[in-house]
Amino acid sequence: MATLAPILDRFTTADRTQPVPAPARALEMEDQFAVPQFPNEDVYFRVKHIDNSRVVRTADPAARKACWRMIGYSFVFATLVITLLLPTLYDLMAGYRMEALRQERSRLQLDRAALELEEAKLISPARLAELAKMQQFVDPAPENVVYLDTKSDAILAKSDADPAKSSAALAAK
Amino acid sequence: MDTLATKRVHLLARVAFVWALLIVARLVQLQVVQHGKYKTLAQQQQQRRVEVRAPRGMILDRHGERLAMSLPVESVCVNPLRVPDIAVASDILSKILNLDHGDLLYRMKTALEDRRGFLWIKRRVAPQEAARLRGLKLEWIEYRTENQRFYPNRTLAAHLLGGVDFEENGNAGVEQALNDRLQGHDGEMLLTEDVQRRGFQSTTQSEAQPGEDIHLTIDSSIQFVAEKELAKMVDQHHAHSGSVVAMDARSGDILAYANYPTYDPNESLKDKEAAAREDLAVAAPFEPGSVFKVITLSAALECTRLRPDSIINCGGGKIVLPGRTVHDHNRYWELSMEDVLARSSNIGAINIGLTVGPRLLEYVRRFGFGKKTGLPLPGESSGMVRRLPSGKGAIGSLASVSMGHEVGVTAVQLAQACSVIASGGNLIRPRLTLDTPVAKPIRVLKPETAITMRRMMEGVVIKPYGTAHRYARILGYTSAGKTGTAQIYDNHLHQYTHLYNASFMGFAPVTNPAVVVVVTINGTAGLSGYGGPVSAPVFREVAAAALRIQDVPKDLPEMLPATEDDQADVSDVAIVDVGSSIPPPLVQPGDAVTAGDEPAAAAKVALDQRIFSAGPAIPVHVSYATPVSDAPRVPNFQGKTVRDVIQESAALGIPVEFIGSGIARAQIPEPGEVLPVGRSVRIQFGR
Repeated sequence: MATLAPILDRFTTADRTQPVPAPARALEMEDQFAVPQFPNEDVYFRVKHIDNSRVVRTADPAARKACWRMIGYSFVFATLVITLLLPTLYDLMAGYRMEALRQERSRLQLDRAALELEEAKLISPARLAELAKMQQFVDPAPENVVYLDTKSDAILAKSDADPAKSSAALAAK
Repeated sequence: MDTLATKRVHLLARVAFVWALLIVARLVQLQVVQHGKYKTLAQQQQQRRVEVRAPRGMILDRHGERLAMSLPVESVCVNPLRVPDIAVASDILSKILNLDHGDLLYRMKTALEDRRGFLWIKRRVAPQEAARLRGLKLEWIEYRTENQRFYPNRTLAAHLLGGVDFEENGNAGVEQALNDRLQGHDGEMLLTEDVQRRGFQSTTQSEAQPGEDIHLTIDSSIQFVAEKELAKMVDQHHAHSGSVVAMDARSGDILAYANYPTYDPNESLKDKEAAAREDLAVAAPFEPGSVFKVITLSAALECTRLRPDSIINCGGGKIVLPGRTVHDHNRYWELSMEDVLARSSNIGAINIGLTVGPRLLEYVRRFGFGKKTGLPLPGESSGMVRRLPSGKGAIGSLASVSMGHEVGVTAVQLAQACSVIASGGNLIRPRLTLDTPVAKPIRVLKPETAITMRRMMEGVVIKPYGTAHRYARILGYTSAGKTGTAQIYDNHLHQYTHLYNASFMGFAPVTNPAVVVVVTINGTAGLSGYGGPVSAPVFREVAAAALRIQDVPKDLPEMLPATEDDQADVSDVAIVDVGSSIPPPLVQPGDAVTAGDEPAAAAKVALDQRIFSAGPAIPVHVSYATPVSDAPRVPNFQGKTVRDVIQESAALGIPVEFIGSGIARAQIPEPGEVLPVGRSVRIQFGR
């Protein structure tokens, strides 16, 4: 496997005819810091111990300042971009929501229309007449029709089961 | 001097720069140079045109009850070119959609051979079928949403409502006549979808405009009663067909509009049903017969000096006209004009018509005959009113028109004409939709003429010999009307048959008419097939229902009508309306009980027991007390003035209790009953 470096070197090295030194397998074995090479590759790694315990970092306030400034600018820029993109994002989310609601509305309208149709079928005069026949309801006899005042006396119709209550309601009036 | 590494970095940077440059160039090409092209492609991929269906408007009755409404349903279609296996596809679809497998396979094969990209599999499928198909998740099955018209009350007002075709265009009735208002205009929406086909943005291209809801003037409850009673009577008399039109006497609102036979507009037209779909009430003119005498007598009251008590020569039941001789059903010699109407004397009517002269036809047209009523119904006939021929033919023609022949009228025209009498002389145009402005009434008769005609028409109902006596009396209300029985002319044989058009037109209450009802039953036969026994009972039931539903105050006490046959001379036109077996209302054979009770009281007891009984009805056998043969019976005071009643009761020694003033309209006990000792006859008078 060839790495990028030899490929680049072909373009950068002036003397391309100069032969590449052959790997010295003997040297490799002698060097105690050498690590095993990649198979079939002319790449060698060596371990070099560096002691930088005595290195002291030089104070560089300007670099620190520049660094923080960069962080600040980046943050402001990111915030600005996000702020600018936020409405678009919100629009997108709202669009999804609106379309979902639109579909929901269509579905509910359809359900409502179906229920209205069902209701219309259930209260059709033919069905009511059939139910009345099943319940053996008949038209009242002559002079036996009682007209209820829908505003005030409707309660009488409801409390018909208990005549005492009806009488009491009448008496109260 | 640059190191090797630096050289490497520089080279890499140059390559990267060139690479970036290429990308930017490509981006510029894509987004700037070819912007339009790719935008279009993107839109085609992301955007979808969605059709927004505009539902057809509903048809409702005057109280908002739904008579016709549209619901979106799904239709199934395929692109045969995309179907992987035609045989398998037809197998799946035919099983779920209940289609004939062979037929479907043939259709799909044909479509495939013709390289057609669209094929309807089944239109307007049931929701369950659509759900089952969707559950299969087969991408080659496509669905289209279409609207389907539903008529929840099935046959109710079928002829009035009409129907729609597959494209939801009206093809009959109000659906056709008011199609432009009912039909909505579909809209279009541009929907942008993401990769999962979820819409996130929509733009309305054109707004959907739903159809307009139409509120008809009919009342579902009255309509139901009208259809039920009409069907019952047509079946009972083995007639061919019939029509009922009930109209508000003040506003002209059509409250009920029934034809029989009828059909269910939810179902598609079958071959045998074509005749049933004919709207007889507006499209089938007929010779009205004796009901037309109302027009003749109205014209006479206006144009001549004849008055209700004027004596008319009835010629002993025969009159010789140029070229023909007309016979009456009974041999009357002289009748008062009001009795001519009550007994429906043809010769009397002819003589009155001849007295009026050619102006009779002017009145015929004034009453609205020969012109369309303007109801929004397709195929309305204007009827037929001939011009008076010159010479001797004029007399014959006038004679015919006087008794309702040689004219063609529709049931709606008759209702309109009857409303002239009911409304005090004004012609009121019938109205079918509530948003139609009430037409300005047109003065046709003087108010006093109309009032006189009302009383004369009431005589048809309350006089013992009136042709509609016992048949058209409404419990608790006064009523007036006129029967008519016209022989049906056979166009092939060119002669009159023995089948009749039995008609009745009337209104109630007499003092302040609220409802006008016209009943025509076509194709009755025999002695019981006349206007009185056939059509008048339908009038009674429909008018009673209309008055009850409209909360019209009663103008008579609720008394049970007579149960026995009167000596009524119930004849009309060239035919005699003899008594029939049709029972009067409420008192049905087998209802009343208790031997020894009065019939009326017995019936009342029985009916009281049935009121709102939740459990099974108690079967009660009826047996009226056998009247003592030699005991005095109560005479019939109905139709008589107070003075006449006083004279007659005094002569018979019967104590009488008077209620109200005017003409006797009801009495208890009923005529013919035995008056128990110590009791008096209670008589209700009314004007």
